[in-house]
Amino acid sequence: MTEALAVDAQGVTKTYGSLRAVDDITIRVAPGEVYGVLGPNGAGKTTFLRMLFGLIRPDSGTIRIFGNTWQDAGVGALAGVAGFIESPRFYPYLTGRQNLEGLALLDGGTTPGRIDEVLAMVDLSDRADRKVGGYSYGMKQRLGVAASLLRDPRLLVLDEPANGLDPAGIRDMRALVKRLAASGLTVLLSSHHMDEVEEICDNVTIMRRGSVAFHGTIAELRAMAPDPGHALRTSNDTAAVRLAENHGVRVEIDDAEGGLTVTGPQQAVSAYVAALVAAGIELRALTPTQTPLEALFFMLTDDETGRMEPQDLDEMEAAG
Amino acid sequence: MTATIETFAGRRPHVQPRRVGTGAVLRWELRKLAHQWRAKAVLLAALVGPIPVVFVIHGQSRPPKDSLFGRFATENGFALALLILGFAAQWALPLLTSIVAGDIFASEDQHGTWKTVLTRSTSRGRIFWAKTLTAALFAVVTLAVLAASTIASSVLIVGRQPLTGLSGQQIAPSHALALVTASWASMLPGMLAFTCLAILISVWSRNPAAGIAAPAVIGMVMQLVGALGGVEPIRPFLLSTGFEAWHGLLTAPRFTQPILEGAVTSAGWCVVTLAIAYLTLRRRDITGG
Repeated sequence: MTEALAVDAQGVTKTYGSLRAVDDITIRVAPGEVYGVLGPNGAGKTTFLRMLFGLIRPDSGTIRIFGNTWQDAGVGALAGVAGFIESPRFYPYLTGRQNLEGLALLDGGTTPGRIDEVLAMVDLSDRADRKVGGYSYGMKQRLGVAASLLRDPRLLVLDEPANGLDPAGIRDMRALVKRLAASGLTVLLSSHHMDEVEEICDNVTIMRRGSVAFHGTIAELRAMAPDPGHALRTSNDTAAVRLAENHGVRVEIDDAEGGLTVTGPQQAVSAYVAALVAAGIELRALTPTQTPLEALFFMLTDDETGRMEPQDLDEMEAAG
Repeated sequence: MTATIETFAGRRPHVQPRRVGTGAVLRWELRKLAHQWRAKAVLLAALVGPIPVVFVIHGQSRPPKDSLFGRFATENGFALALLILGFAAQWALPLLTSIVAGDIFASEDQHGTWKTVLTRSTSRGRIFWAKTLTAALFAVVTLAVLAASTIASSVLIVGRQPLTGLSGQQIAPSHALALVTASWASMLPGMLAFTCLAILISVWSRNPAAGIAAPAVIGMVMQLVGALGGVEPIRPFLLSTGFEAWHGLLTAPRFTQPILEGAVTSAGWCVVTLAIAYLTLRRRDITGG
């Protein structure tokens, strides 16, 4: 007998008035997988995750979590599942520890010392006895992770866990998620940061306006990505544009920012830069504008191309 | 965040999330309540508030003769306790119970914590009943503390003289104490009904201010409507009517039918308001927080 999927959502739709917040989406997450749900704000990611947690009832479609549905198992469908939606929220008049004790009570209790253990995992041991009302945003995010780990989940659902964190907080949060994923936990991560999903996830669904715009592996996504773009500043832009013709890169004058933009495969860009130097053109700046996956993300979520699958790669490549 | 993460695959979990009963949720709600300054302030006010009121009224040279038992309030502790009861029933009891009941659901919206508690191992139904029980327990404790403090301070400061009943009969102090206590106790059904009304407003409005203020205002409107002429058909259904039913305990002969009718009316209000509140919460999409 095969193990049930951690998440098996099929044909899920949620409508608010005339707005289709989630439109017939299908997402399957296998046990042990680190799965990313990516999309801009308003794409329907959070609505989907709220439906997964039973906070919102779908209008149609089914969501199975380790084989259980909310209709059949009620709150039992969440056995083995933990996480948070948007920013985690706690009772501000209680301490971090008291909040965790209460949540443990709502789970039927926990073993002695477990609360200290999860507080240590997220580096909150020394702040555990302070009221949550005085916590910073990042501390609340970490307490949210601790509250999730308290349930010893098999599936951890994190909705934009790095949102609102400073760069050090983002780094720490990503490192924590990676360690959790490496420990065998299934992780379903929602984000609007391509680099975050690329760094952590195995598979990804990109949502746009409530629908699935892409789903596949990160490798498949990378294969679909356009050439990277760079901003280039030289001592002689006219000569630099002329020189580009024989190096397989596209160089254009950037009217908005000034200087040049260079687009092309990484190797071609490197060869072109070497040629600039060899030709005596001073190279004053060369900075990436966006990563290939970021560019693809914007293509998938901004334009009107509609749903895409990995097999669309051939058509994209054929179209140049 | 540098601590070691255990390997999850194949590890025996520290907790086996299972469906948790209403008792565990009730303990959690009571624990939260015990940490809220608002609840502590209400209980403190119920305990200490009557003492200065008793002192002030006792010190008046002219008793408030227009109020029920006001004529004897400056010289009879039992009469003073009943005078305060009549005043409390007008708006104080609905307000005191609403401070917790009107906030207990809406505060989850205010703090954005519905998603925190509803993603654990307990259902909306159990959370609803645990919160309702918490609010009801708080109402009972508040009424008991207020009644005990009022009666004790009135008797200790003014004295325990024989009480003149509403029919002019003399009631011995020991019997008067029982009747005054029973009169205060007869407030309980009405107070619980206001608790349930506050719960409904709390669930429906998702706004603690509305949940706290609206029941007190509704209570005063009911008092006003009940005082008007030509409203006999609806008067039995007003919660304020039950708040006056204790008068029958202090007449000769005694009549308790209004107390029973008030209790039935209150029960009806409880059932209807809780049913609407329960269905509202069950069907609600939690989109905020």
